[in-house]
Amino acid sequence: MLERQGTDMADQKWGMVVDIDKCTGCQACVVACQSENNVPINEEGHFTQRRAIEWIRIERVWEGEFPDVKARFLPVFCQHCDEAPCEPVCPVYATYHNSEGLNVQVYNRCIGTRFCANNCPYQARYFNFWEPTWPESLKNQLNPDVTVRSRGIMEKCTFCIQRIRRSTRDSDREGTELEEDNRALSPACVNACPTQALKFGDLNGHLGEEAAEHLEGHGGHGDSHHGGRGYHMLDSLGTHPNVIYLKKVDPSAEEVEAHG
Amino acid sequence: MIPGDFQVKKPTFKKLFKLSVMGGVSLGVLLVGLIAVTWVLSAWFGRPIIFANNEGPDQPIAFPHETHVDGIGLECAFCHRNVTTEAAATIPSAGLCVTCHQVVGDDLPEVEKVRSMVADNRPIDWVRVHRNPDHVHFVHEAHIRRFAGTKEVVKELTNSETQIRLEDAQRIDAEFEMGQSVEISESQVCSICHGDVTESEKVRQVRSLKMGDCVDCHRANDAPTDCSTCHY
Amino acid sequence: MAITRRQFLTYAGGSAAGAVIFQACGVPADELLVQSPVEMPEDMVSGLDNWYATVCKQCGSGEGIVVRVMEGRAKKVEGNVDHPINQGSHSVRCEAGLQSLYHPDRIRSPLVRVGERGSGQFREISWDDAIGRLSLQLKNLSESGKSNSAVMITDPASAHIGMIVDRFMSVYGGRHMGYEPLERTGLRRAVKQVFGQDVMPDFDIKNTNVLLSFGADFLNTWGSPVRYSRGYGEFRQGDRKRGTFYHVDSRFSMTAANADNWVYVKPGMEGILALSIAQVIVSEGLGDLDAARQFTENNSLDLDAFEPSKISQKIGVGAETIRHIAEDFAKHGPSLAIGGGATGGHSNGLFNLTAIYALNYLVGSVNNPGGVVFNPAPVFEDVPVVPRVDSFLDFQRLVGDMKAGSVGALMVRNADVWHGLSDSSGFKDALFDVPLLVSFSGFMDDTTSMSDLVLPEHNYLEDWGSDIPDIGPGYQVLGIQQPVVRPFFESRGSQLGTRNFGDVLISLASELEIDLGLDAENFQDVVKNSVRELYDSNSGSVRSDSFAGFWNGLLQRGGWWDTAAIADNVSTIPILSEPQDPVFGGGEFHLIPFTTTGIGDGSGASIPWLQATPDPISTVTWQTWVEINMKDAERMGIEEGDVIEISSSVGSIEALAVPNPGAPPLTVGVPVGQGHRAGGRYAKDRGSNIYAILEANIDSASGALAWASTKVNISRVGRSEPVSKLENTYSEPPRDEEQLIIKITPLDS
Repeated sequence: MLERQGTDMADQKWGMVVDIDKCTGCQACVVACQSENNVPINEEGHFTQRRAIEWIRIERVWEGEFPDVKARFLPVFCQHCDEAPCEPVCPVYATYHNSEGLNVQVYNRCIGTRFCANNCPYQARYFNFWEPTWPESLKNQLNPDVTVRSRGIMEKCTFCIQRIRRSTRDSDREGTELEEDNRALSPACVNACPTQALKFGDLNGHLGEEAAEHLEGHGGHGDSHHGGRGYHMLDSLGTHPNVIYLKKVDPSAEEVEAHG
Repeated sequence: MIPGDFQVKKPTFKKLFKLSVMGGVSLGVLLVGLIAVTWVLSAWFGRPIIFANNEGPDQPIAFPHETHVDGIGLECAFCHRNVTTEAAATIPSAGLCVTCHQVVGDDLPEVEKVRSMVADNRPIDWVRVHRNPDHVHFVHEAHIRRFAGTKEVVKELTNSETQIRLEDAQRIDAEFEMGQSVEISESQVCSICHGDVTESEKVRQVRSLKMGDCVDCHRANDAPTDCSTCHY
Repeated sequence: MAITRRQFLTYAGGSAAGAVIFQACGVPADELLVQSPVEMPEDMVSGLDNWYATVCKQCGSGEGIVVRVMEGRAKKVEGNVDHPINQGSHSVRCEAGLQSLYHPDRIRSPLVRVGERGSGQFREISWDDAIGRLSLQLKNLSESGKSNSAVMITDPASAHIGMIVDRFMSVYGGRHMGYEPLERTGLRRAVKQVFGQDVMPDFDIKNTNVLLSFGADFLNTWGSPVRYSRGYGEFRQGDRKRGTFYHVDSRFSMTAANADNWVYVKPGMEGILALSIAQVIVSEGLGDLDAARQFTENNSLDLDAFEPSKISQKIGVGAETIRHIAEDFAKHGPSLAIGGGATGGHSNGLFNLTAIYALNYLVGSVNNPGGVVFNPAPVFEDVPVVPRVDSFLDFQRLVGDMKAGSVGALMVRNADVWHGLSDSSGFKDALFDVPLLVSFSGFMDDTTSMSDLVLPEHNYLEDWGSDIPDIGPGYQVLGIQQPVVRPFFESRGSQLGTRNFGDVLISLASELEIDLGLDAENFQDVVKNSVRELYDSNSGSVRSDSFAGFWNGLLQRGGWWDTAAIADNVSTIPILSEPQDPVFGGGEFHLIPFTTTGIGDGSGASIPWLQATPDPISTVTWQTWVEINMKDAERMGIEEGDVIEISSSVGSIEALAVPNPGAPPLTVGVPVGQGHRAGGRYAKDRGSNIYAILEANIDSASGALAWASTKVNISRVGRSEPVSKLENTYSEPPRDEEQLIIKITPLDS
């Protein structure tokens, strides 16, 4: 179903590496994303009705209870899966996988059946149950590069595609190479993260090399006979996400523990 | 009873029912049809920006492109400066107009209007001629870059970097012919979509510039047809 | 079905209405026009979006930010990669500036009160009028010899703003006080006593091997969290061996969650624990023995009294744990001990902090890589780096003066004292004995809503200024704050709208005919003239042949810093405060107030993004909740969402119960910062104010408020409300052993 025509054959496959050992749960990525992508303001009622929209959210997972208690932080956002369960079920083809490896959400096509959100195992898709509104003066802050969604439309993390587009354009115009570690290209969350736990790049380029090392077991601390620190979330479902997570290191862990 | 009187037979319930349903359905269809026609017609005639079916709106200042383009020889990009760097071509600031017009055009009432607006520090509220909906991110700069340069005029494209289709070339200059090698400046590219702005007093939209128009041109010119090229 | 005439008309009317609505739901008229401005905004001259460097003033850490400006509007905040404090990263609070710049409830002009004090009724007046009124009052006071009855309370203000406030008040003859809700006066005293430093040191987390922190939520809101987090990222998975992190705290904070080992300690016992660790270090012959000997002798300290098994029961930490920590800390250096937060908020806070920071001495981590790194002397001689902060004791004295009628004018800038000072201080009542309350805030916060005269200042994104980070990176830094957009209310003319606070003081000074000794007419020039020194020194990150080039360079880079301008390596022997046990009020539960990520100490409560930021531990937003131990909750029949009344001897508040597995028994944690009586639509009448019910217990060694020493009783009110939290928003996906979301691995040996 992918039309590969001419310049649709992009060389890039965008992906991210998230180091859970570095993530402190500070929520900087959450607000940076809301600022960049015109995400509606989540009021108290949105949370109590369990319909708050946070394209990237930090899940806090408990282990144990006082006094032997631990909490882990996990950033969850659209994994841009190669075999995305959300893509085949859209009746109007509003979400599809493009040649750059991104799972694209086309807002103007979406009719709001919410089948895609139902299918996403990462619960990374959000629906606008209400019309997003901002007080008049706050509209000055909205990002003109990103469409402002209305009620009835699905939205989710786009890897800040507006930044990818802008940087690609700029580099084409100036005749320079598109560099992966360019801050104008990286999504807002990656730039914000104070511990640099999030990394963005081309899985066909440098980031891919790094990711391969982590997945094979040659990189990072904590690699042992269990393999490297890299893994995909819920990988047994066969979604082939483009986001690699690096395991949390806990010196007191006896063997690889995990949380479902 | 007088001869000639007749009594209408009381219709059966079944018949009545059938008649009512048919009547109701036809009425419904008529209403729907009427609404649709009203809506469409009013949209066509009431919203020239969206349906591009007009002679151009009246502007607060009757700016004549002909005088400036043909008369003085200004390039499009002299005023619409950002067409080579960013998404929007941008209307120039009034400050640009008065760089010349603070001395030129003393006896013209339109020039007086510009001067007084700058003096009062008021912006000029032009009526928009071309508009894309909010969910479309159209980038002028990529299109200028695509078409500007030395190109060979062909019927069907085989190499997008060195060729240009005949129909696009002829929008720039009707005299271009097949096989010619033409030098297209950045400002000449504008005519492909915006036509010849010097042909009439008011600027009007000459191509429909609907998504179909965009996609057809993209397909023919080997440009990306990925939805996320424009919709994000 | 037959259709009646009436029905037909209804349908026809309805469909006609529908058609009209179709028409009306069209494109708004203003989208069908495009404007030629008189002059193009800078970013449209080039067609490229512009990023301007400035300094963030949302919290006190002074991160350098770059702001994306398109067509004259600020769109996005990102970290300035050059700035030494945050190096390109930023926190949740840094983005907030955008929403505070464009907040719908900003004050739009100077105001004067009409109606009762606190009624919230104000009338707009012009700047000339406002400055005239204030200067008249101040003149009256000084002419009757009562200029010392004028008091200005500000946030901890350093750099040029601090200088101008200090100078104004000292030349006028009044008093300047600095206010911080969860004050760190004890912390500053501890630093002075232990390291002999006036300026807060930097903590080299990036290069340390064993990090031992007590109470400080440094990854979240304490100190300079972005800088510490950058170091923490390297500490965990940088190009070096992974470090070990112990966190000692009587509450399971976000920083505790990130530690390899969270050591629960009974509240207030951190100092004793620190001395116990010191005892192990010394008795096992680890660390710097000479330093240890000098330390114990100078302080006449009998370390053996703190041997682990002797105090283990009292402090609630096992003796083996103490030994293990001490050995790791001393053997596997470089190591770093940090203390702060609730640890310093007890009645023995200063003792706790001095004992903790002294540990650095015992292992040679003072002014060394991987340890505590001193910050050098200030960039400018006459511009303070150390902001003025007064202790709770000082504020109690102020309240006494207010009640006695000897405060003639109270001026407040960026310090919400009405909200933050506990009811036990008596401030709220005493305020009515002060004839004039003036606020310089740009926002209708609680104190401003009680004031008589408001002279609103600019938002920091539209203002000039400077910033010398309170917690520097170990060398001299001066951040330059420049406006990234025109002032939002500029179109209202020069007599309305907002003004720079420094400019207001300069205008006041000229009305009062007092000479501030400045060589400039406005605040921007004060800063500009001041940096000539740096230009002349021809050192540091910005150098140029001309002053204009230098100033441009400063604005482009976001400031000036000099990595060679480091502190002298002077060491002193730590002075330990008298070891003492903590003293608490009456009540069953320890109350630990804490700052949550979004709204912090309350200053972010008006910003919707910050209110909507989930707390990392409980994921609650928008509300005031109380963290309770699961077993205590079960015992008391408390469930999540139950409204709990928390009462101290001062008063009581209500909060929603959110039991969590990490909360220790007989301890309740309540976030600060809600419960405002004003503050715009997002903050007003929301949640409860825990500051109000803190008891006036004071750490006698420092005068600081022992804000973690209050004990409370809790009870169910009888009703419950939905908790607005992020977790459990989504139904649990099907899980089995194969479907894992977080994987954990041990370290390789």
